[in-house]
Amino acid sequence: MSVKSQLAKFTAKSSHFLLRNILKRGGTSLPGKLAVKIDPEVLQTIEKEFDLVIVTGTNGKTLTTALITRVLRAGGYTVVTNPSGSNMVQGIVGTLLTTKVKPSPNGKKPVAVLEVDEANVLSLAKAIEPKYFVLTNLFRDQLDRYGEIYSTYDKIIAGINQAPNATVITNADSPIFARGSYSNQRIYYGFDNVKEADFKDLKAPTNTDGILSPTDNSVLHYDFITYANLGRYFSTTDGFKRPKLDYAVTALNELTPKSSAFDLDGTSYKIAIGGLYNIYNALAAYAVGRTFDVSPADIKKAFEEDKQVFGRQESLNVDSKDVTILLIKNPVGTNSVIDMMETEKDPFTLITLLNANYADGIDTSWIWDAEFERLHDSRLASLSTGGERYKDITVRLKMAGFDLDGTYQKTEDILKAIDQAPTKKIYLAATYTAMLQIRAVLKNHGYIQEEY
Amino acid sequence: MADYTLELAHLYGDLMNTYGDYGNIIALRYYAKQIGVDVDDRLVSLNEDFNPKAYDFVLFGGGQDYEETIVANDLKAKADGLKEYIENDGPLLAVCGGFQLLGHYMEMADGTKVDGIGVMDHYTTNMTDDQVKTLNGSRLTGNIVIKNNETGEEYHGFENHQGRTFLGKGEKALGTVTTGQGNNGMDKTEGVIYHNVYGSYFHGPIFTRNGNLAKRVLATALSRKYPDINWQAKLNQVPTETF
Repeated sequence: MSVKSQLAKFTAKSSHFLLRNILKRGGTSLPGKLAVKIDPEVLQTIEKEFDLVIVTGTNGKTLTTALITRVLRAGGYTVVTNPSGSNMVQGIVGTLLTTKVKPSPNGKKPVAVLEVDEANVLSLAKAIEPKYFVLTNLFRDQLDRYGEIYSTYDKIIAGINQAPNATVITNADSPIFARGSYSNQRIYYGFDNVKEADFKDLKAPTNTDGILSPTDNSVLHYDFITYANLGRYFSTTDGFKRPKLDYAVTALNELTPKSSAFDLDGTSYKIAIGGLYNIYNALAAYAVGRTFDVSPADIKKAFEEDKQVFGRQESLNVDSKDVTILLIKNPVGTNSVIDMMETEKDPFTLITLLNANYADGIDTSWIWDAEFERLHDSRLASLSTGGERYKDITVRLKMAGFDLDGTYQKTEDILKAIDQAPTKKIYLAATYTAMLQIRAVLKNHGYIQEEY
Repeated sequence: MADYTLELAHLYGDLMNTYGDYGNIIALRYYAKQIGVDVDDRLVSLNEDFNPKAYDFVLFGGGQDYEETIVANDLKAKADGLKEYIENDGPLLAVCGGFQLLGHYMEMADGTKVDGIGVMDHYTTNMTDDQVKTLNGSRLTGNIVIKNNETGEEYHGFENHQGRTFLGKGEKALGTVTTGQGNNGMDKTEGVIYHNVYGSYFHGPIFTRNGNLAKRVLATALSRKYPDINWQAKLNQVPTETF
């Protein structure tokens, strides 16, 4: 390491110490900024110390990153990660430079597992050469509806092209990931839990994007669909089809809102979180773990021991009511939440809160692409609405054919809604800023202790 | 089973569906159900015929640039059918990309020119075109309110588009912009009315937020199919949703 790099690293570490211990700030991006300013090449010195794994995609990045970290640690690796959700390049540099690296207990090189926004993959790959890219999925997000999934994917490909020796661990069930010209080795994960005798000839639901074949832009068909545009796809006009899987979900055993039991390559696993989309996250982490030679037994340990990793879907006890807070932000994510509610065995109440601030997406049209109608087939007993855009969500649910039990214009009044709910089980589905508001109210009343 | 049914064609619903466009069908069905009418929607997509006599309503939504290019190419084969449908006063709602492709051409942000089918007389330039004197180079994004000059109705929505549309011969605006930008940010027009075609840049979706328009278009479609019944009077009894 050059003297300049050492100085850069020292500056990052000391500013991090200053921010965290003296000024009591989180401080993840400033140290990186300072270090890069002193030595733009400081990043490359990181390559020598870590094998870099980049996790990117629309949904599920955070949990996938957390699960990969746990799986690799269970396999005896020292792992550095960016848990604060700070996934801008400077934040990442800050994380890498300010973490004390101990040698891996298993004697192998330590690993950096980083969650990276699609748009930042290229700039990060330019700075530090990754060993692995993990691609979760690509769906349109209401935050940037004009940010097309194809141009987003092009950005990821540009990053991959920057690192031709890296291996791409990718979701085989997503047709868009079959696109793109890059020569890197690919490892595919996906679902193979449906027997051939049960294959159907399906098309993705009308409101799905990314369903065109990369060969001739014909609309793809599916033997089975797991959710949205994910599944075992094939073309009817040529031989294009889903690639052969290296790592697969081979059975779904029990799905509940709070847990999922499934087989990966014939071995049973359980995670303490509901939702099919989370099984994809676990599958991606399994694929990375197996690629790093972590044993199935150690992966099982990583999935099943400490449940804190699944913290984002949090459950609270509010005066003996069992309240689960769910973040909704785009149609696919909301449909996944609805899938999960369909596995609820007890009658439940749903309170849906809609805001349209910048962090939520200022266009509320996406609520019409989410399939609330499917809740008619669930054990939904009572439904109410709230949030700053309560009118939008109220009309949406009315037109879905539901009679509403209440509309709460003030966040404070949600406590009444919880109190008056006819069921013990309550789901609070909220957009980002609406969730922060209701969390603040719950915290003021002592139902939540920690910060989000 | 209701006694009356509207046959609805959802043009390229699997490819042009970016702005909650499907919500327009949900809204139509919501009002139709309250007056005893079923809405039967059918997807008409790539390599499928559009039979102008088979439908009472057509929805043509907006999409991503990539899909819009594929659709533009396929649409040529449906142009004659759509022209016949439109000239025979078939009701149609076209949103964003759907609205653009019924006109002569549209230009994407990168300057690529995509041919429309020219069954209507408008055209769409991109945001950096020389004609664009207002907000050149910027997307038109935000809440929008317009007023329909003939009926006096007010419509609310959200716009987010880079293309600038200029109306042509025989085309009226859906409304005059009260707040927001509209078709091109310059001439205060938003959307289009031509025969029974309603075009707009509104997300919302427009029929969900503007029950007044949804009910009026529904009455038009029903009166065309079942002329002996006073559908407007029936719909007047149904509460109008607006937000």
